Amino acid sequence: MAGDVPPDPARVAALELEAGLAKRPSVYLVLDPQRRMLEIKARGTILDTIQLAGIEIMSQQPVLRARHPAHPPIPAVWTVKEGPGDTDREVVAPKELRPAPKDDEEDESAEPTPGASPAVPTPTPTPVPMPPPSYRSRLTNGWDLWITDTLPPQSLFGTLVAAVRDGWRRVRGLGEDHVPAVTLAMTDEDARRVHHLMRGGTSILIVSEM
Amino acid sequence: MSTEPEVTTPVQEPAPKKRWLPAVALFFVAVLVLCCGSAAVLARLGRPFVASPFNATPSAAVTDADVSLLRRRAVAAEKEIEKVHPKGVFIVVDTYRNRLQLVENGKVIRTAVCSTGTGIVLKDPRNGKTWIFDTPLGERTVERKVKHPVWAKPDWAFVEEGVIPPKDPNERFDDASLGDYALYIGDGYIIHGTLFKSLLGRRVTHGCIRLGDEDLVFVYKHAPIGTRVYLY
Repeated sequence: MAGDVPPDPARVAALELEAGLAKRPSVYLVLDPQRRMLEIKARGTILDTIQLAGIEIMSQQPVLRARHPAHPPIPAVWTVKEGPGDTDREVVAPKELRPAPKDDEEDESAEPTPGASPAVPTPTPTPVPMPPPSYRSRLTNGWDLWITDTLPPQSLFGTLVAAVRDGWRRVRGLGEDHVPAVTLAMTDEDARRVHHLMRGGTSILIVSEM
Repeated sequence: MSTEPEVTTPVQEPAPKKRWLPAVALFFVAVLVLCCGSAAVLARLGRPFVASPFNATPSAAVTDADVSLLRRRAVAAEKEIEKVHPKGVFIVVDTYRNRLQLVENGKVIRTAVCSTGTGIVLKDPRNGKTWIFDTPLGERTVERKVKHPVWAKPDWAFVEEGVIPPKDPNERFDDASLGDYALYIGDGYIIHGTLFKSLLGRRVTHGCIRLGDEDLVFVYKHAPIGTRVYLY
């Protein structure tokens, strides 16, 4: 902020908000819409950056009668209320537990314990499901944050096709109404990378110079 | 008189009228009208996603303060951030890519392949108790370092194998699984070695961070007690 250029009030407000976040031991995200950049930070240090392909506000609108939704104020700190990091989890449970075999009871067919022999058998790990490249998180301010690798088509034809599809889903009782979402488009790999960070309590600082 | 035979040209029969053509055309037009009508009705019912640009709306925090006050506020905020900024040696763990970095004075001095938590939830069939195998996120501190660590296996280690946890604590000790060194980062989470080197780089642990032998020795030597660990 040094120099002769007068400081931007929005930038100063964002710095103050970040100072508040950096005091906590949690990881937080910083979204800069102008640079199309999402930074993963802790204690004011950038741990990783993600280049966004786009940032839009997506809202469901009747075709040809679109009205632009309100825009969330910035700078601001958004907090994830519930995200896929909370809900997208695999649960495993053995059906029942058996008593532990005593050392002298162990049969020869049992796998050797790690370290018991020079050739250590590698256990087959439980396969971890790949996170999806498109998901929504609910924010405490009532908005949704939608992270996706593919933005819905916005051409007239594409919108019409999407409208027909959604109409057909609604006729079959499958239609869904989503609240407006700040939508971050990024590569599928990047979308998967931040999937686990989208869990309750994660803070997202939105900065912008105006 | 010539008696040439009379040449008669064969009378061509008029082509049969294709009366079915208009019927087919009418049918196709009807189908088209029906399709378009249905599509129009469905499109009217549907609510597709419409994009609008993300524009800045000033929040209440942005006021027309005078320039000198703004400068003072900016400097104060930057000082506060600088105060908590990690200094010296610290560790960064990327739990998605399974990479650990040791940073010294802002420079990465070691990058290692590690293994982190699966994120899977384990449920105890006896009482419904659950454990989440997440590597914790955020800042932690190396609380203690141990050579030749012994692992006191917690209940979940038995439940996962379908075995009732033993009551005798002596049946819980395991001096092989953690490798030669361990850096404890709180709440039972440890940076340690592994017997299963081929699983490095994958999300296979119960929340701890596993390293290969050489990387573990390097981190153990270069990260003193008190080293900050940033996990994301």
